[in-house]
Amino acid sequence: MLAIEGLSCRYNKITAVKGVSLEVKEGELVTLIGANGAGKTTTLRALSGLVRDLDGRIVFEGEDITGAPPRDIIARGIAHCPEGRRVFPYMTVEENLEMGAYLRQTGNGINSDMERVYEQFPVLKERRKQAAGTLSGGEQQMLAIGRALMSRPKLILFDEPSLGLAPNIVQKTFGIISEICRQGTTVLMVEQNAYGALGMCHRSYLLESGEVVLTGTGSDMLDNPHVREAYLGG
Amino acid sequence: MDQLLQHLINALILGGTYALLGIGLTMIFGIMNVVNFTHGELYTFGAYMLFFVVMVLGLNFFVSLAVAVVLGIILGAAIEFTLLRPIRGANIDTTMLVMIGAWIVMQNSEQWIWSGIAKSVSTPFPSDPLVFGPISVSYYRVFVFAAAILLIVGAHMLIHRTKLGKAMRATFQDSDTAALMGININRIYTATFALGSGLAAAAGALLAPVFVVTPTMGNIAALKAFAIVILGGLGNFKGATIGGFILALVEEFGAGYISSGYRDAMGFLLIIAVLLFRPTGLFKQAERIG
Repeated sequence: MLAIEGLSCRYNKITAVKGVSLEVKEGELVTLIGANGAGKTTTLRALSGLVRDLDGRIVFEGEDITGAPPRDIIARGIAHCPEGRRVFPYMTVEENLEMGAYLRQTGNGINSDMERVYEQFPVLKERRKQAAGTLSGGEQQMLAIGRALMSRPKLILFDEPSLGLAPNIVQKTFGIISEICRQGTTVLMVEQNAYGALGMCHRSYLLESGEVVLTGTGSDMLDNPHVREAYLGG
Repeated sequence: MDQLLQHLINALILGGTYALLGIGLTMIFGIMNVVNFTHGELYTFGAYMLFFVVMVLGLNFFVSLAVAVVLGIILGAAIEFTLLRPIRGANIDTTMLVMIGAWIVMQNSEQWIWSGIAKSVSTPFPSDPLVFGPISVSYYRVFVFAAAILLIVGAHMLIHRTKLGKAMRATFQDSDTAALMGININRIYTATFALGSGLAAAAGALLAPVFVVTPTMGNIAALKAFAIVILGGLGNFKGATIGGFILALVEEFGAGYISSGYRDAMGFLLIIAVLLFRPTGLFKQAERIG
């Protein structure tokens, strides 16, 4: 479904990603793990068209989307749930969800999709007229996920969904992401929490200093001595 | 008491156009982060366009007002497209210099085209004032107030109820994330600058028959617009609206009870006070558009 071939990106004049190649098949939940600064977020931003200074090729459903602007990427069915949630703080919960469906024709099932998001996250329904900036971190994460779903994506990119959340909320968030994948949406997730990410994914790539150093199934990676030592605390 | 009421009415009427100026600038300056030195020139442009369409072409006054506002919107879009879009992401000093250049070019072009001689615009309204007991106010000024309120409400609805308005707010709150939603950021900036410019042109056109039209009329208007934006807080729509009325009240009462020679100074005393005691403006941050 998605193939990245030899992607390199410069970010503030530093080459943050050096020749990364990876692949995501339809229906898969693939994770990209690695330490802070390994180039995980830059890879996702390049995929979404936010990083323009890049080499390599990005192919989605057989078409080259390298260098396309973000609005073309989302129009093709790739939603991006950004690091730090990035809800629109002065807009209401409902308006945030509307923004997720920005490129869709008005009417056309937007309201029923919003109801579905509210069913999945009842707390958002309670707070739908509230400014998103007043929600707790966990609630904002639910909103960011709901907003990404509003575009009816084929593939969702999650960037550090566990960042800054309490452990029980992290568990809940990972559960929701697994469920999204089970319901048929393909997922590519970037995570620093290697243990959680490897436990839930089909396959994973380990990034170090902008390069893919290891790839395999989640359980293989969990057993790998290098991963155990460097990312799982021995 | 009669005098007090008269000042209050005058302030209310002046405040409407100040609010228009302030809202236009708060959108551009407070949200796009562009110190818009051309704002006063858009005000002047609106006034000249009304003069041109009414007095030179001889069209209906109300049609001419609409034409002046639409031309202001078009000029604003053109400025954003040609001057600001190529330097998007440049630091604030660069955009400031570009806007100062544009301001000088626009003001001198006005002088060149229209000469320095003041122009006046006549209106279809009766020249006798409307009298309520001790208070009198011209019909035209009542119209100015009503038109300003209509435009303020219209701009508010646009920003809060329409898809374009919501996309604007999303862009100003977080432009990267807005881009991820599929919003065309460049188009939003152009639309915002055009809308802010249109409001300035509307204020200039509405006030053209009240005062006279000169090439430099925009200078003091721009300064007042900046005062209103500071008063209301950067990017704060409600703040700019209320700030416009506060400035008008202070000017009107200052001129009436202290000295009319210091009318324009009153606003700046107010800014100094606000910057000293409430540098983020009089209103809450949460009220921001962006």
